[in-house]
Amino acid sequence: MAIAAPPIEIMLIEDNAADVRLTVEALKDARVANRLHVARDGVEAIRMLTEPDTAMPRPDLILLDLNLPRKDGRDVLKEIKQDEALRHIPVVILSTSQAEQDILHSYRLGANAFITKPVEIDQFFEAMRSLEQFWLTVAKLTRP
Amino acid sequence: MGSGRSHDAARGAETGPSPPSAPADRLFRLVVESSPNGVVMVDRRGTIVLVNRETERLFGYGRDELVGQSVEQLVPGRFRASHPATRQEFFANPQSRAMGAGRDLFGVHKDGTEIPVEIGLNPIDAEEGFFVLASVIDIRPRQQAEAELRRSNEELERFAYVVSHDLQEPLRTVSSYVQLLSRRYRDRLDTDAVDFIDFAVGGVRRMQHLIADLLLFSRVGTRGAPLVPTDMQAAFDNTLAGLHAALDESQATVTADPLPMVIADAGQLAQLLTNLLGNALKFRGTEAPRAHVGATRAGRTWTISVQDNGIGIAPEYFERIFVIFQRLHSREEYAGTGVGLAICKKIVERHGGRIWVDSTPGHGARFSFTLPAADGVS
Repeated sequence: MAIAAPPIEIMLIEDNAADVRLTVEALKDARVANRLHVARDGVEAIRMLTEPDTAMPRPDLILLDLNLPRKDGRDVLKEIKQDEALRHIPVVILSTSQAEQDILHSYRLGANAFITKPVEIDQFFEAMRSLEQFWLTVAKLTRP
Repeated sequence: MGSGRSHDAARGAETGPSPPSAPADRLFRLVVESSPNGVVMVDRRGTIVLVNRETERLFGYGRDELVGQSVEQLVPGRFRASHPATRQEFFANPQSRAMGAGRDLFGVHKDGTEIPVEIGLNPIDAEEGFFVLASVIDIRPRQQAEAELRRSNEELERFAYVVSHDLQEPLRTVSSYVQLLSRRYRDRLDTDAVDFIDFAVGGVRRMQHLIADLLLFSRVGTRGAPLVPTDMQAAFDNTLAGLHAALDESQATVTADPLPMVIADAGQLAQLLTNLLGNALKFRGTEAPRAHVGATRAGRTWTISVQDNGIGIAPEYFERIFVIFQRLHSREEYAGTGVGLAICKKIVERHGGRIWVDSTPGHGARFSFTLPAADGVS
């Protein structure tokens, strides 16, 4: 259940409405209180991250789809990792791709984890749960 | 144009020579005349002494417009200057061979159109002199067929791409939400509703397998590695390692002859063996499955066979089992998409071999395929 701490601010950058909702549903089952902020394309994502007057506080964790309209997920990742103010935020790639080169390329650009969008929903919920674990154990260290 | 001794002699042969050789000559003329290739006979100086009907059709000249003329008349202008020298070279070293090995050859029609051709050259050493018999094939129909095939292959590749990227995505959404329904509401639904959801989930899963196998199938041709000398023994050992769990589970025994070096794509070779041995386990009889991989050599070709003791296949299905999506059993009896053997066939054919099956129902099956030997010596 919710730990006595402020909720985790999670940013989801994803264009597919069905996948957005699925992530929302998976996070509903989470044991850690969280708030989800959604950007539907790469340009919107960068704007939300860099313009201070948006409704979103600086996220603790970013979930990033690779194939996005307007600005590709790889470019979004590169920009985040090149920005002094943003580079410490853990970025988890969510992708349908299982191609080794996509995975390696993402890590090379500074991704902190790579989750292949699974075909089985139980796997997806499991992956989101392990993300929480990831947050509680590792990512917490980076939190100011 | 010039009509030397040999020319006259050859024309004599064409129009009706001395009585003793008449039947042979008539036969020769019939053979040449009925050839589906253009036939042009040329003497040492490059003068045409004989042509057939197909040559007339191909180049648009009547035979009296060709016989007695220089053969260079049929050579496009841009090659005409260098042709006599090439011709001399042939007479210096006359051997039956294809002309211009590896180069694109063209003839020129009476109306100036260039015609892509293939030309076979045969020296003829006759009493009347020394000649070259050129056999000319118009390769435009073949080029058209090849272009058509390329187009259709490209289309298939694009299709595979669409299948992989554009169909899998919505299918994943359907799958996710039906499973989410089940996960969250199963306890609140009656048994009918749960059944319906299970059928929907099963259908989606089957479609996902079909798409994945279809991709695997289309990638045999488009994503293959080069064919190089490959140790089949190593491919076999890897295959057994990969099948380890399945072999243990079914208490199967797999044996093999010493396996040779072949010209192959190692990955596809392992896939081929995996599919065939996998079938030997899957279509097992009442006894524990046994399979033996044999190798025999004839000339430059190895025949590899996979013999099992399974349920076997009736002869009327020997061809059909290699066709994609063809299945002989219901899904309840045996799982699968009907792609495995189609992939085997496609792999073997990519290697220039063939695959077939021998079987008596109830007494196992033997799948055999041929591969080129790596040493290539007969």
